[in-house]
Amino acid sequence: MSDDPRSPGRPGTSTDTEPEDTSGGTPGDTSAEDTEMAETRPAAARPPRVTWRKLTLLPAVLVVLLLVTWLWFRQADLDAISRNALSGGQVAKALRQHVELTVISTFFVLVIAIPLGVLLTRPAFRRAGPVAMAFANTGQATPAIGLLSLLVIWLGTGRTAALVGIIAYAVLPVLSNTIAGLKANDPTLLEAARGIGMSPAGVLTRVELPLAVPLILAGVRTALVLNVGTATLATFGGGGGLGVLITTGITNQRMPVLVLGSILTVALALLVDWLASLAEVLLRPRGLEAGA
Amino acid sequence: MDFWEYLGNRHEQLLMDAWQHASAVFQCMVLATVIGVLIGVATYHSGWASGLATTGTSVILTIPSLALIGLLVPMVGLGVPPTVVALTLYGLLPIVRNCVVGLRGVDPSLVDAAKGIGMSRLARLVRVELPLAWPPILTGIRVSTQMLMGIAAIAAYASGPGLGNEIFRGLGSLGSSNALNQVLAGTLGIIVLALLFDAAYVLVGRLTIPRGIRA
Repeated sequence: MSDDPRSPGRPGTSTDTEPEDTSGGTPGDTSAEDTEMAETRPAAARPPRVTWRKLTLLPAVLVVLLLVTWLWFRQADLDAISRNALSGGQVAKALRQHVELTVISTFFVLVIAIPLGVLLTRPAFRRAGPVAMAFANTGQATPAIGLLSLLVIWLGTGRTAALVGIIAYAVLPVLSNTIAGLKANDPTLLEAARGIGMSPAGVLTRVELPLAVPLILAGVRTALVLNVGTATLATFGGGGGLGVLITTGITNQRMPVLVLGSILTVALALLVDWLASLAEVLLRPRGLEAGA
Repeated sequence: MDFWEYLGNRHEQLLMDAWQHASAVFQCMVLATVIGVLIGVATYHSGWASGLATTGTSVILTIPSLALIGLLVPMVGLGVPPTVVALTLYGLLPIVRNCVVGLRGVDPSLVDAAKGIGMSRLARLVRVELPLAWPPILTGIRVSTQMLMGIAAIAAYASGPGLGNEIFRGLGSLGSSNALNQVLAGTLGIIVLALLFDAAYVLVGRLTIPRGIRA
């Protein structure tokens, strides 16, 4: 966060519901270390983009969490119902389904939301922008479970309804992020690009989109984290995923099943958020960094 | 039975659910606001502590709501307790973050002036800093409320109160003629509640934001 001077004053680089700190468990490390380095080193030497602590802390926490869970399960006294719910590779299957739901839905969210955001900021469609934003804000008030249930009734149970629901739920925040970010681009830069004779397409692909990379990556992260969460609801429409373990645990009152499903979901969500935060730091154009 | 007939027939049950939904969200928001502002006030002076507070609350937000509720059930049981704990935890992040941002954004010369006319530390906080930081905090409360509306619906699966029950009843009777009516009534009810709350916050903002800093 601290090495991007644009982000604090820039609306929409992260949605309000999105975790803002990139480290997911390493409080204030980058800022503290960056300022230290800025004092001790000449200005030309850049601080490393990824600090050692950021790279290791969260995976370490996750490994400990999963290890503790595993040890607890080895000594746990499982009855027939719990064993049934967890045997025969069902946990692995639920995890795989969950990852698939997340990846597929995130892909479609990006393919839909980012081009749509670019389109809505073009002069020809600019008037539709406020309408789309108002629509997006109302959509935010729609409960995910209600949307998913309506889709299940409409499309029938199964993975399609779950995927459509997850995608529809995440398109709105990524779309409003994209619009807000593209609008926040310095108009003088676009003016300058047009002034040196760039075509509208050239301005878009060579100036606007590169400047919007942090924002697009923030969108990817938002979508991924949201989708891991919404994918737990897929089970209510017969779409599989880790939600199956949680709901089985609640309906049969078998705490081990419930806890295992919950812990795996939490671990997956934190892991995905961590991976996305690394991508955010590593893929940001060098030119957008402080001191460049 | 079409949707309007359904609403007419079940309006007592629906109003009851809507009332419980709104009251659960409202009470948890009050709780989250008090805790969030306290955390914000306690940490905004130190970059390290406020970073820790923001990161901690944002980690909670990363956790999918069904999983958090699942983890709470073995600890506090089914029904109202996991709903209240989950809703309050999820409501914290926007409030803590906006509270820290708002308090940091207060012009230091104003605080200095307050100190100069002899205000105590507490009086400075309550009469100068918090009123000036109130608009961003109120925005945080609005964002939290919108989010909690949807999460409260999911909490109904752990026997929580509210309109989520209507949605889950519909899901449980898929194929029956009333399934669509039930899901639609629950979903639209939550949207209406969310919009009503939002309108109420606009009004609260008009009434409580100090005249001097009103836009």
